[in-house]
Amino acid sequence: MSLLERYLTKLVKNPTLLGTNLFTPLLFLVLFSQLLTKFSTFLPGQSGGYLAYLTPGVVMLNAMIGAPQGGVSLANDLNSGFLSKMLLTQVVRPAILLGRLLTDMFVTVIQSIITIVVAVAMGVTISSGLPGVLLMLLTAAFFEFALSGVFLTVGIRTRKTETISALSGVLFFPLIFISSAMFPVSFFPDWAQTVAKYNPVSYASDVTRDLVVGGLTVNTFVSAYLLIGIIALASFLATLYQFRKVIS
Amino acid sequence: MPDIIDVQNLVVVYPDGTRAVEDISFNVKEGEFFGFLGPNGAGKSTTIKTLTTLLRKASGRVSVAGYDLDKSPKEIRKSIGVLTQETSLDVDLSGWQNLHLQGRLQQLHGSILDDRIKELLKLVQLEDVAKKSAGRYSGGMRKRLDLASALIHKPKLLFLDEPTTGLDTQSRAAIWEYLEGLNRNEDITIFLTTQYLEEADRLCRRLSIIDHGKIIADGTPWELKEAIGGETITLTLTDASLKSRTMDILKSIAGISNAMVSDSGVVAYAKNAGQIIAEVITTLDRNGIRPSFLSIGSPTLDDVFLRETGRRIRADELSRRETEPFLM
Repeated sequence: MSLLERYLTKLVKNPTLLGTNLFTPLLFLVLFSQLLTKFSTFLPGQSGGYLAYLTPGVVMLNAMIGAPQGGVSLANDLNSGFLSKMLLTQVVRPAILLGRLLTDMFVTVIQSIITIVVAVAMGVTISSGLPGVLLMLLTAAFFEFALSGVFLTVGIRTRKTETISALSGVLFFPLIFISSAMFPVSFFPDWAQTVAKYNPVSYASDVTRDLVVGGLTVNTFVSAYLLIGIIALASFLATLYQFRKVIS
Repeated sequence: MPDIIDVQNLVVVYPDGTRAVEDISFNVKEGEFFGFLGPNGAGKSTTIKTLTTLLRKASGRVSVAGYDLDKSPKEIRKSIGVLTQETSLDVDLSGWQNLHLQGRLQQLHGSILDDRIKELLKLVQLEDVAKKSAGRYSGGMRKRLDLASALIHKPKLLFLDEPTTGLDTQSRAAIWEYLEGLNRNEDITIFLTTQYLEEADRLCRRLSIIDHGKIIADGTPWELKEAIGGETITLTLTDASLKSRTMDILKSIAGISNAMVSDSGVVAYAKNAGQIIAEVITTLDRNGIRPSFLSIGSPTLDDVFLRETGRRIRADELSRRETEPFLM
């Protein structure tokens, strides 16, 4: 708990970081929904038009932007000797990882709430109501957790924050744009449709979208949570493996 | 007094095969101020990291604070405070918050923790700046805060890995005073590593000199220097090829007990160096040898290191100073 407190205090002291992380998703939300209003005509039978389509994708973008923070933080703690200092205390060792993961999930949830509030203010109705919003937040947090393991592994292994920034840059744009997050997949050429079909971002966005516009099926839900769960398990095990190598 | 640290035949090998610590044995008694003196890369940090449970040893038997390193690392961590070489503070947090976090990680809570923080901030004289971010502290202040956080859980044994490296003279003197006070007034046993001769000389009641992972000498600073025998005559030679001839000439002068080649010249040892210095200079002059620098001094721990290894502890720094031609 005290580690969670540490990260949150750091966050409050660095409001620019939180601001920058929120800026991109909100910019996407406002800019795309205003520029691409005509998209709505291509989305027949969907309530709320393109803005309603876009909102879930932007929620997932929040999760993706939050994911590298843990890796950066752990790489910094490794280099500064702060990790050694924590290891020398009586704190149980998994708590060091857990504290970081919980913080980033918490931040993702906060950012997602802000995104949803802005979207609702712009006219989106969440068809599934409050339970739906809670499930959207859970999905965002879970997706963030799954991705953060990738960056934690890289962070512990390389101890370089630059590597994490570079990796996140390389991964994010293809992952977010060649998925159903921002634009309907039916607009894409065939190859991109194939990529989008297997892209985990599509799965996470689709679940969230169905919560906004309605019509969530058990099938969509289970396949998304299964895929995210597999990524989460793999990346968490990789993180644990690297972490154990460092602390022993 | 019982041993608070007991190390027998410790060997530490890094994953790349480097044998960082090569079969060392030593012991530290309760209440002692004990030190490891040696140059960079001698194995000092490795030893501290092993003794504080951060590194795994290859072989040997280690007991710290009465606990076996293999069997009870958790109990060891509870009883020790560690000041690592890197000043490991969270620069985004204030001084108070850093101590609070450290206290919480050490399972302290509530008013007990608050009182302890106040007490420590007073000890290291950071009360006035406690609410400022540690990132805005000077190097000396950060080190003091780090020292306070190592003491938060009242450890009876304190490990300090090069506590004053990189600090200015004033900050260094301040740290020395805190450490002496802790050892004397609070009865905390201190194990310190340093590459500074004067630091080891002033603080440590007993020390081991370490080089290439091996202990090459140990005893009290006085014993170690006394063993050199007499005073030192240090000569710097611009022409390095003259070193061994100079050494031979010096050895032949009556009254000189020994002479050795060092990094920048030759060092000779004599009981009454002042009385034979004239003869030293004339004899060398007759042989066409003119040192660029010559000094007489009491032996230092560096002379002990030189005798054992043929090198100075901080060769770079010393030779730079000695080549400045301000004598002869």
